[in-house]
Amino acid sequence: MGTALNLIFIVLMVATALLAVFARDLLAAVIIFSVYSLIMALMWQRLQAPDLALTEAAVGAGVTTVLFVVAIFKTRRREEE
Amino acid sequence: MKSVVSLLFIAALLGLLLYVVAYMPPMGDPENPTNSSDVTTRYLEKAEEETHTVNAITGIILNYRGYDTMGEVSVIFCALAAVLAVLGREKRGKIYAYADRSRVPSSVIVRTMVAFLVPFIILFSIYTILHGELSPGGGFQGGAIIGASMIIFTTIFGLYESSERIPQKLRFPLEGSAFITFFVVGVLGLVGGGNFLTYAWPNIATDLQPAVVLWLTILVEIGIGVGGAMVLISILFSMIREEEEIAVAP
Repeated sequence: MGTALNLIFIVLMVATALLAVFARDLLAAVIIFSVYSLIMALMWQRLQAPDLALTEAAVGAGVTTVLFVVAIFKTRRREEE
Repeated sequence: MKSVVSLLFIAALLGLLLYVVAYMPPMGDPENPTNSSDVTTRYLEKAEEETHTVNAITGIILNYRGYDTMGEVSVIFCALAAVLAVLGREKRGKIYAYADRSRVPSSVIVRTMVAFLVPFIILFSIYTILHGELSPGGGFQGGAIIGASMIIFTTIFGLYESSERIPQKLRFPLEGSAFITFFVVGVLGLVGGGNFLTYAWPNIATDLQPAVVLWLTILVEIGIGVGGAMVLISILFSMIREEEEIAVAP
């Protein structure tokens, strides 16, 4: 059970990381990246590091996402070809 | 050709990393090197008695490794101060600038939900800060949660509303509170007759020491939390401020 959950988390993390890199729409990339951070927070919790899980959830999924979104709206949303 | 080389390089790196991961000690194994080292045994057996803290992890972070933690705090806050210096402040008194100029206004549902949730998020962060010496979390995490709650509030209600609630006059002095509190607590250890960053002051009665340690720990946590929250809010404010010619008073 635990191993299966770990496996799901790891597959999801790799998938979201790749999607975030390859997304053409930068806003979509940022949102996918925040999903990556959220799964990472769950992973820290599973590795019995609740301190890191709290920090990852607050900083990784919360603060940096908003800062990235603000940065995108200050510049251009689409990647130039 | 270039992409083939980079793919080969990445594949080699992947292989190397996976090879190294296979040599990592298994999680939770009692035979792991960390479990059998002298330092771990010492921490686990003596931490409570030597540091007078109720939690061994707090004792390690703030006491045995107090200098390390203080250095970390100053490094983090120097980095954040450098970010703020690059971004530039919003001008004093010119706070009426706001970024909420998007053509899609936030809906009533979102506004109501945010207004309803933010107090609870702040309550949770206060719990995280104050309970930090007993449970996971602590100053920086709680501060980040306060920062996140104010960031949600700012993105929905705009810069003007949120800078009304956290005025600049309050925010600027509090940004340095993390290092200042840590330093003051460290110097208080000298005054109390111990070394720098001694929490259990030798000059006072032994039965008072646990209480003093507890309150000093809480003081450090509050300082770091408030400082972190204020710096994060300042970074957001200076990112979403409009340049002065665009700025409009509401």
